[in-house]
Amino acid sequence: MPLWSLQGLRRGVVTTRYPARPDPAAAAPPTPPAFRPEALTRDLADRLVAVCPSWALTRSNDTLIFDVGACTACGRCRAEAPGAVTASGEFELATTDRAQLVKRIPLLGRNVTANYHGKSA
Amino acid sequence: MTGQVAPGPGVQATADELRRTVARLFGRSLHIRTLDTGSCAACEQEIRLLAAPHYDLHRLGFFFTPAPRHADLLMATGPMIRAFDNAARKTYQAMPGPKLVVATGACALGGVYQPDAFTHGGVGEVLPVDVWIPGCPPSPLALLQGLLVAVGRLAEKVRDLDFIQERE
Amino acid sequence: MSAIPLMAGAAAAWVLAAAAALACGASRAGIRACCAVSGLGGAAALAGGVSSLLSGNSRVLTAGGSVVVGTLQLQATSLAGVFVALLGLVAAAIAAYVPRYHDPGHATGRYLAVFNLALLASLAVLVAGNVVTFLVAWETMALLCYLLILRRPWRTEVAAGAFWFLALSEIGFVLIIAAFVILAAKTHTMQLDLIAARARLVTGGWRDTAFLLALIGFGFKAGLVPLHVWLPEAHPVAPADGSAFLSGLVVKLGVYGIALFGFSLLPAGPAWRGILTMAVGAVTAAIGILYALNERDIKRFLAFSTIENIGIIVTAFGAAMTFWVYGQRLLWAFLLLAALYHVANHGTYKTLLFLEAGVIEHATGTRDMDRLGGLAHRMPRASVIAFVGTLGIAALPPFNGFVSEWLIFQGLFQGFRTGSHLIAILIVVAVATLGLTGGLAIYAFVRGYGIPFLGMPRTRQAAEAGEARQPVVGPALLAVACAALAVGAPVVLAGLARAMRTVTGVTLRPVLLPGNLTVIPAHTKFSGFSPTWLAVFLLAITAVPALIYLAGRPRAASLTEPVWDGGLVAFKSRMQYSAMTFSAPTRVTFDALYRPSVSVSRASDDPAGSSGPVHYESEATPVFERYLYRPVIRAFEWLADVVRPIQSGDVNLYLFYVFATVLVAYFIAAV
Repeated sequence: MPLWSLQGLRRGVVTTRYPARPDPAAAAPPTPPAFRPEALTRDLADRLVAVCPSWALTRSNDTLIFDVGACTACGRCRAEAPGAVTASGEFELATTDRAQLVKRIPLLGRNVTANYHGKSA
Repeated sequence: MTGQVAPGPGVQATADELRRTVARLFGRSLHIRTLDTGSCAACEQEIRLLAAPHYDLHRLGFFFTPAPRHADLLMATGPMIRAFDNAARKTYQAMPGPKLVVATGACALGGVYQPDAFTHGGVGEVLPVDVWIPGCPPSPLALLQGLLVAVGRLAEKVRDLDFIQERE
Repeated sequence: MSAIPLMAGAAAAWVLAAAAALACGASRAGIRACCAVSGLGGAAALAGGVSSLLSGNSRVLTAGGSVVVGTLQLQATSLAGVFVALLGLVAAAIAAYVPRYHDPGHATGRYLAVFNLALLASLAVLVAGNVVTFLVAWETMALLCYLLILRRPWRTEVAAGAFWFLALSEIGFVLIIAAFVILAAKTHTMQLDLIAARARLVTGGWRDTAFLLALIGFGFKAGLVPLHVWLPEAHPVAPADGSAFLSGLVVKLGVYGIALFGFSLLPAGPAWRGILTMAVGAVTAAIGILYALNERDIKRFLAFSTIENIGIIVTAFGAAMTFWVYGQRLLWAFLLLAALYHVANHGTYKTLLFLEAGVIEHATGTRDMDRLGGLAHRMPRASVIAFVGTLGIAALPPFNGFVSEWLIFQGLFQGFRTGSHLIAILIVVAVATLGLTGGLAIYAFVRGYGIPFLGMPRTRQAAEAGEARQPVVGPALLAVACAALAVGAPVVLAGLARAMRTVTGVTLRPVLLPGNLTVIPAHTKFSGFSPTWLAVFLLAITAVPALIYLAGRPRAASLTEPVWDGGLVAFKSRMQYSAMTFSAPTRVTFDALYRPSVSVSRASDDPAGSSGPVHYESEATPVFERYLYRPVIRAFEWLADVVRPIQSGDVNLYLFYVFATVLVAYFIAAV
């Protein structure tokens, strides 16, 4: 009997159980960023917009418009402002409605000393 | 990234019925035809992995087919370069209805490339897209989730995500 | 009506047509008149041939002649009946074809005169009753055919092709004379039926030598390998009706000669005679079709296909002779019958295909398959008629080629009845070769019909082809004849069986079951099928699904989308198969036979940049010309060089020759 089949029997089934059970290696690849609104000022937002190579970020007054669909998870925005941007860990991003992928992040960082309680609208 | 109005109740009912029909027809057996409209082939490599033993899309009833005549779902990657218009349109027309179109990857969703003389900047300009899968490239699990959303076996998650990091 | 008056009428009609052609060939009405008379002659010959087939050998007619050259004797035999009928059909079809094919003029008038006289000479060969008549008619026919091929003698390739025909014909003629001389000397008579009656006087070595001389001599005319080289040279350069006549009839005269010697004049013989004939036939068939697959010129392709079919016929002859040696007289007569049926069939569809090749050449200006394409849209009538001919020659049911090849195969399959294991194995080898040939023939004719007629036009000439003033009646007549020969096969075979009783003395009729419309290969329990019912059945099974579809068609609206082509912008004609790429697999498999010489050259050898157009040339080595004929030709040239000093041009030397000859004659007379 060939060696690889014996090794396979020893290892067991490697096929993922997704979607019935979550896959342990799921969030290992890079994922789109998540933002901390209270850390975002207009200047920071403009810097993030400038650094994004994929036109996923734009600023409209006091809202950072983040197009998840255009994001390539390159990590430049996180490198630019590690305090304001982290990896979201989300990869199940499919949708039937393109507009659902355009997220609005409020820029609450004008006052860095203000406390932040709860989510903002 | 076109703005979409919320659909009225009648339209919603039709959409629901369509979704049920799609789930009935394709839920357990779906034939996928991939279409590379000018991508860097990273998405294609992830799509290829779907047939590998670790992800194994065959256990879900999904199969790849090269012939559009046999395909139910068109999986389009790449920013839809203008030189490919004719081939993309012909591929879509060759598929018998009912059919679905899945735009895969950041390029196909409008990122990475802006529209210019050589590219449309997104697959949605030429094909009527049903499901959008972000990622660059989307991991095989993300692709699986996208396909399962397309056939109605999984609910969408991204509506409820706001990409705002909670302060602990 | 009996045979002789009909044939005499045909002969008279052809003489009249020749005269008419010479007199008024310059006008279109004159050509039409000449062809009308010629066509009537053809019809008379057809009737006469059928009549002589059914009524048996007629009396020998003697007419004139002198003591020196012998008398002119004519006899209508059953064996020749098939060939005379074929001659009539071919003549009638070509007569219908000529008015729209040739332009009026003095050259055409002369050509038509020569053609009608060639018809007359062919008829004379077939009804010759004694050796001298036969030989005179044969040589006349050969010379007239040479003139036929030379329609446009100012072109070099025409002169070369015609010369090949004439040279090989003359070599064959010498051997034929030798064979007849042996027979006449041994049986002390010049009359063919008396020679046949006294055949047992020709014994042993003389008999076999005569047969071999006849096989080779008539083989030159019939086109047996390696004596076939004139066929691909002469057919492309002759006008279409000339090529049709050559392939449709003239090579059959060679077959007639072999049949005459093998079955009529020298029926008895050793086993190796039949085996040799069968081997030669099988090799001819295989090589013929293999070379056909390598040809782009439609007429060369058809010429090689003729060689293949002649091979099949001669294989059947050989097997028949072998069966006679082992006492299987039924199979002997049956295979002769099957071979003669194939002669009739092949004459019909090959003539048709050559005439259509002429139509294509006139419509598009080229004979090269790789410059054609899509003609089925531009020339629908021609494509339908050519399709009938193609189905016939590819031996597809229910057409006539299928029936005759089935009969030949079934006869060969019964080789086990000979009782000798060796012979049975040899016959099986021949069957295998014919099987290979049959498969390659279908391949070749898919290519031969598909490349010119189907697909997209490859050149502007093909795209602009039209069949506005092309001849259609002649080829259509032959297409109808093909269908009639197929569906009416039981009737035709009954007639041929009656002829076989005359030729071989064997009664085949009870074992052909024509009353049931079923044909069987000589022995009842071996196999059988009905061509008529097969044709009906095939029509029915194509009609039934069509009817079901029409009755049960889905009522919902249906969507018509273009064929999935891989997303191309548009198909281009260069994306299609070409004739040579379609047959590339055979060139690869049989490269030991073709020995292709390949040369590739490019404008520059710059590896980094563009090197300009690449020139690729591949040519199959002409094996027979190079390794058989060239050495013989060079030997003769050497001999001529050696002998040349005799012709020094010096008058004194010539006078010395005269003196020496007189001296020698004097001494001989004195002694």
